[in-house]
Amino acid sequence: MARTKLYTGIYVALFVIATMQVGVEQIGLLEESYLLALGLITALSLIKAVMVAGYFQHLVWEPRSVTYVMLLGFVGFLALTVAASYSIQ
Amino acid sequence: MTDDTQPRTDGGTALPGDSHDDGHLPPRWSLKRWLVTTNHKDVGILYLATAMFFLIFGGVLALLIRAQMWAPRAPGEGILSAMAYNQAVSLHGLIMVFWFISPFATGFANYIVPLQIGAEDLAFPRLNALSYWLYLASGILVFASFFQGASYAGGWTLYAPLNIPAFMPSIGATTTVLAIVVFCVSITVGGVNFITTIHRMRAPGLTMRSLPLFTWSMLLTVWMMLLAFAALLAAVMILLSDRMLGTTYFAATTAGGSVLWTHLFWFFGHPEVYIVFFPALGAMAEIFQTFTGNRIVGRKWFIVSMVLVALQSFIVWMHHMFLTSINLEVKTLFMATTIGISLPFDLMVFALIYTLIKGRIRWDTPMLYAFGAMVLFIVGGITGVFLGAVVLDYEFRGTYWVVAHFHYVMVSGVTGLIAGLFYWFPKITGKMYDEFLGKVSFAVYFTGFNLLYFPLFLAWGTPRRVFAYRPEYLPWHRLASVGAVILGISFLLIIYNLAKSIVAGDDAAANPWPYSTTAEWAISSPPPMENFPGTPSYASGSLEFLRDDEPTGAAAADGGTTATDGGHAAALESAHDDGGHVDHASYWPFMIGLFTVVTSIGFSGLQTGSFPSGLEGTFYAAASVLGVIGLIGSVSFMGYENFTAHEGGFGETWPFGGVENTKMGMWVFLASDVVLFGAFIGAAIFLRVAYGWTQWHPIPHNPIPGLVNTYLLLTSSFTVILSLVAAQKRSRKGVVASLVVTFLLGLAFLVNKAIEWVVLFQGTEEYAPIALDSSVRASTYFLTTGLHMGHVIAGLLVTAYLIWRAWNGAYVNGDDEPLEYFGLYWHFVDIVWLFLFPMFYII
Repeated sequence: MARTKLYTGIYVALFVIATMQVGVEQIGLLEESYLLALGLITALSLIKAVMVAGYFQHLVWEPRSVTYVMLLGFVGFLALTVAASYSIQ
Repeated sequence: MTDDTQPRTDGGTALPGDSHDDGHLPPRWSLKRWLVTTNHKDVGILYLATAMFFLIFGGVLALLIRAQMWAPRAPGEGILSAMAYNQAVSLHGLIMVFWFISPFATGFANYIVPLQIGAEDLAFPRLNALSYWLYLASGILVFASFFQGASYAGGWTLYAPLNIPAFMPSIGATTTVLAIVVFCVSITVGGVNFITTIHRMRAPGLTMRSLPLFTWSMLLTVWMMLLAFAALLAAVMILLSDRMLGTTYFAATTAGGSVLWTHLFWFFGHPEVYIVFFPALGAMAEIFQTFTGNRIVGRKWFIVSMVLVALQSFIVWMHHMFLTSINLEVKTLFMATTIGISLPFDLMVFALIYTLIKGRIRWDTPMLYAFGAMVLFIVGGITGVFLGAVVLDYEFRGTYWVVAHFHYVMVSGVTGLIAGLFYWFPKITGKMYDEFLGKVSFAVYFTGFNLLYFPLFLAWGTPRRVFAYRPEYLPWHRLASVGAVILGISFLLIIYNLAKSIVAGDDAAANPWPYSTTAEWAISSPPPMENFPGTPSYASGSLEFLRDDEPTGAAAADGGTTATDGGHAAALESAHDDGGHVDHASYWPFMIGLFTVVTSIGFSGLQTGSFPSGLEGTFYAAASVLGVIGLIGSVSFMGYENFTAHEGGFGETWPFGGVENTKMGMWVFLASDVVLFGAFIGAAIFLRVAYGWTQWHPIPHNPIPGLVNTYLLLTSSFTVILSLVAAQKRSRKGVVASLVVTFLLGLAFLVNKAIEWVVLFQGTEEYAPIALDSSVRASTYFLTTGLHMGHVIAGLLVTAYLIWRAWNGAYVNGDDEPLEYFGLYWHFVDIVWLFLFPMFYII
C-alpha cells in the first residue's frame, strides 16, 4: 500500500525522461554533437529500463539471482551485437 | 520380477513401491493415454520413440547420400537428381541435429532427471506435454515439406542469400523454416520447465554440489538451449519474414545481409555442439562411475569445467566464419577463445580416463558404448583444433575434413546417448536387454562408424555437399559407403535387441547395476506413477524416503527459505495421501500441437505477402484461418483448465528460494525473450553499421506518434501495478478498473501504430509510400516494431482473460499471483519499447 506513492513517483520520472529523449532531438543536439546526443539518449533509455525492471517488476525486492538471470540474456545480446558489429569494421 | 526392497548402494533403503494407480490416466495400452498424458515418464518415452523414428528418417537420407557417392557423379547420374541430393543432404543434417539428437537427450532428461532430484514430476507438466507435441508438430512439418514442391535444399546451415525465395522458391522450403520456428518454441517451453524444476524441486539435502552428473549436464544444456535457441528463433523468424512478407534482411543486395545470417546462426550453432554433447557427457560420467565402481575423479572440477564450457560456448561462434569478410583482428580473437574452450574439455577427458585407470572396469554394453563415445570424442576434438586455427581453416573449411570432424563430434554424443539407452533401458521398461546382442551391436556400430568417417579425413579434398569428387578419392568414398551400410545394420541390431527384450526379456531388478549411486535405482523398474514411496530426502546424508508424518528437514536444508513455501510441502504430502490429487492428463497440449501443424501448413503458402492464386491459395488461406482459430481456442481452454501439479520449494531451491515456480518460469522465459528481441535489435544495429551508421535515418517522419505510444505504454505499466495494489486492498472494482484501463491503453497503442503504418504505406504529399521491401531500413523498422506489436497483442489477449476472471471475483482473496506474473511480461514489453522508440524514431 505504501508503495503506491513510490510507483507514482517512478511513473512521473519515466514520463519526464521519455519527454527529455525527444527534447534532445528537438533542440538539435543530434546535428550539433551526434555522439553526445546518442550517448545521452541511450543512457536515458537504460535509466528508464532499470527503473521499470527494478520497481515495476519488483527486481529490487527479489533474490539477486533473478536479476542475474535477466543480465545473462542482456549480456548475450550485447556480446552478439557488439562483436558482430565490430567484425565488419 | 521387480525388487523394491533391496539395499541401496548409497546406504538408503528402497521401500515397497506405492500402490498408486495412474492418476486418472487411461492404461498404457490405450492410445488415448499417450495423447493426454502429462506425466514426465510417459512424455520421456514419447520423446525417445519419436526421436528414434527421426533417426531412421535421417539415416535413410544418409544412406541415399552414400549411395549417390558410390562413384563421382555428374548432375543427373546416380539414384538422386541434383535437387533431390541437395534436399537429402540438407534434411539429413537438419533432422539429425534438431529432430533426433537433442530430443533423444530430452527423452532421457524427462524420464531420469525428476527421479534423480527427488521430484514427482516437472514443474509444469502440461507445458512438458506441450513441448513434446510442438516437437512432433515440427517434425510432421519437416516431413510434409517434401510434398510441397521441394524441401529445403541449401544445406543445414541455411546460409544467406541462398535461403531467400529468389534462390529457394518452393513452398516446402518455407515449411522447413516454419518447422524450425516451431521446434525453437518447443525447446524454449521445455527449457523454462527444466530450469525451474532442477533449481526449485530438488529433494531436501540435494544441494547443487551433490547433484548427479547427468542432471548437472542437463541443467547446463537447458540453460544453453534457452539462450542459444532464442537467437536461432530470431534468425529463422527474420528469414520467414523475408520469405513470407518480403522484407530484405538477407537479400543479396543488402549490405552485410549474408554475414548477418552467419552471425545469428552460429551464435546459436556453436553452443548447439555442446547442447548436443553435454547430455551424452553426463550419461557417460554416470556410466563410468557405475561400471568402474569409482567416483569420477576430480568431480568438483569436472562440474566447474562443464560450467566454463557452457559460458565459453557463447564466445567462440566466429571460428565458423573465418572464410567470411569479418576482419582479421576478430578472427584472431576468436581463434584464441576457441583454444580457450578446449582447456576445460581436456580436464573432463582426463578425469574420465583417470576414473577408468583407478577403477575396476566391467565391460557391459553401456560401458562399451560410453568408452566408444569417449574415443570418438577425442578424435573429433583433436581434428577440430585444425579448424580453430585461422590459416588451417582457410584450407579445410568447406571440405570433407569438416564433414568427418563434425560427425566424430556429433556421433560421439549419439554414442554416449546409446550408452544411456542401454544403461536406463531396464529402469524405463522393467526388462533386461540381451547382453550378448548388445556387445555385438557395439562391435558392428564402432566398426561401421569408423569405416564410414575415418576415410573421409583421407578424402578431405572432396568439396562438402557436392556429389562430384576427384577419381583418386574413389576407394575412400567406397569404403565410407560400405561403412554406412554396416552402421545402419548396427542400428537394426540395437532396435531388434531392445524390441525383443521389451516383449520377452528378463524382468529387471530395481537396481540391476552394482555401484550405481543415483536415486532412480532406489525405486522399482519401471517406477510407479508418483515415483517415490515417500518424500525423498538427503537431509540425513543419504537417500531416505520419509513417511508423510515425518518432517522433511527442508527448512534447514535451504537456509530457511522453504519456510516461506511451507504450504507447498503440505500440498505435496497430501498428494501422497490420495494419489488422485495431482492431475496427469490434459487434451490441450495435443490440440495445440495439432493446430500448430494446420496453422503452419496454411501460412507456408504465404509468399511475399500473398497466397497463391486458385484452389491452392484457397487451401492455404483456409488452413491458416482454421489453424489460428483452433490455436486461440486450444490455448484459451488450456488456460481455463483446472489442473493441479506438484509444487516445488519443499526442498533445495538455491539460488531461487522464495521465488515460486510460476514466477521463476516467467523470469526464465523473459530471459530468453531478451535474447530474442536482442537478436532483432542487434540485427538492425548490425545492418545499420554495414550500411553506414549516419547515412541511416528513421523511417517514421515524426517522432511524436512514437512519443505518444511511449506515454501510453508507460501509463499502462503503471495501471498494471495499480491492479496489483487494488488486489492487495481486496478491491474487486479497483482490479477490474485498472485492468480495463490497461487494456484500453494497449489498444490505443496498437491503433496509433496502425495509423502510423497506414500513413507510411500510403505516403503523403511530402513523402513517398514506404513498404516492407522498400529498403533494409524499412524492413528492420517494420519487422522489429511488428514483433513488439505481436507481444502487445498477446498481452492484450491475456488482459482480457484477467478482466473476465477479476469480474468474477478472482485475485482479491490473496490469490493475486497471476496479476503479478502478467505484470512481469507487460513491463518487459514496455522496457523493450523504451529502446525501440529512440532507436527507430530519434537516432
